[in-house]
Amino acid sequence: MILTGEEITRQVAAGDIVIAPFNRDSVNPNSYNFRLHPHLKVYEEGVIDIKKEKPTRDLHIGPEGIELEPMRLYLASTIEVMGSTKFVPTYAARSSIARLGMFINLSASLGDIGFIGRWTLQLLAVHRIRLYAGMNIGQMMFWQVQGDVRLYDGKYQGAKEPFASRIFMDYAKPAREQPAAPPTAAPTLTEDAPLGIYA
Amino acid sequence: MLLTGAEIHRMVHAGRIAIEPFDERQLEENAYGCRLAGELLEYTSQPIDPHQELAVVRHHIPEEGFVLEPRRFYLGTTLERIGGINYASELYANLSTALCGLFIQTSAPLGHTGAVICWTLEMVVVQPLRIYANARIAKVCFWNNLGSERSYQGRYLGSSGAVPSRIILDSP
Repeated sequence: MILTGEEITRQVAAGDIVIAPFNRDSVNPNSYNFRLHPHLKVYEEGVIDIKKEKPTRDLHIGPEGIELEPMRLYLASTIEVMGSTKFVPTYAARSSIARLGMFINLSASLGDIGFIGRWTLQLLAVHRIRLYAGMNIGQMMFWQVQGDVRLYDGKYQGAKEPFASRIFMDYAKPAREQPAAPPTAAPTLTEDAPLGIYA
Repeated sequence: MLLTGAEIHRMVHAGRIAIEPFDERQLEENAYGCRLAGELLEYTSQPIDPHQELAVVRHHIPEEGFVLEPRRFYLGTTLERIGGINYASELYANLSTALCGLFIQTSAPLGHTGAVICWTLEMVVVQPLRIYANARIAKVCFWNNLGSERSYQGRYLGSSGAVPSRIILDSP
């Protein structure tokens, strides 16, 4: 079952969902609106090889906004630190964003239970679009689960900024190993990046 | 409700979810991680007409990998035959995959109850991307059903590799 906005609010207060900062005005009937952080990353030109780390370049969205080039990938992040130790998060673009001709993820809308951090969005515009930091760009939903819970402890845990793909790490060791002792509590994040007016 | 990794594991043993081959290390927190098989298809028919047979070319992914090019469309497939006997399923990209600028399905994530198949992946890249067979690029999650179940008998039943669209079967 999907949580209602009221239930999301309750679970944030109870500590089973993390949304920080939390703003009651951003609660929808079945989701929470999250905002675009001013820090973006783009890959250098050329072939990305999934076995190798691809260098990225940082971009910063100033007050005048940023114009996205069509069909180019921009890695962005949410201002909000989000996740849950009890519910599975999924996210989608706000309808108003999708109607501009923009993707905010590339078939990867399913989150992991236990991931707590800023979410890396994959921005892809079909034509030129100007974006502004702090705009409501997507919405996070939360789903009930069945079965015993093991919390996420993967290579993106605790993200504080947009992450380039770490798939190359899959090739650094012979096999993926299970953590010896599954974590029982999510890590706590300390705010470090100054958000200015977006906090 | 969405099944946790532990519950997916339990249901594989109970015969209510099918995953072949099954490897415990591919269980995720709330999904099962799937790998890319070594063959890709690409349409050669231009334009693509749903009322005509679609011609395809097959690409083998060699040891040194295969570079996917932007503005082209590839059909790949999961190595695993996977689906819910008593659950609905959905297929998504790993975050790692999407962060490389790769779509692995284009707005069609739903797997019906009973559809135990090698999933055909619709692959589109934004920037040239070198991929390798066996790369873990997808994840399949499972949902409880509400209501009496009817098992999938559709046109992709029994898929054991990438299968081009059979939309021609809809033709009058």
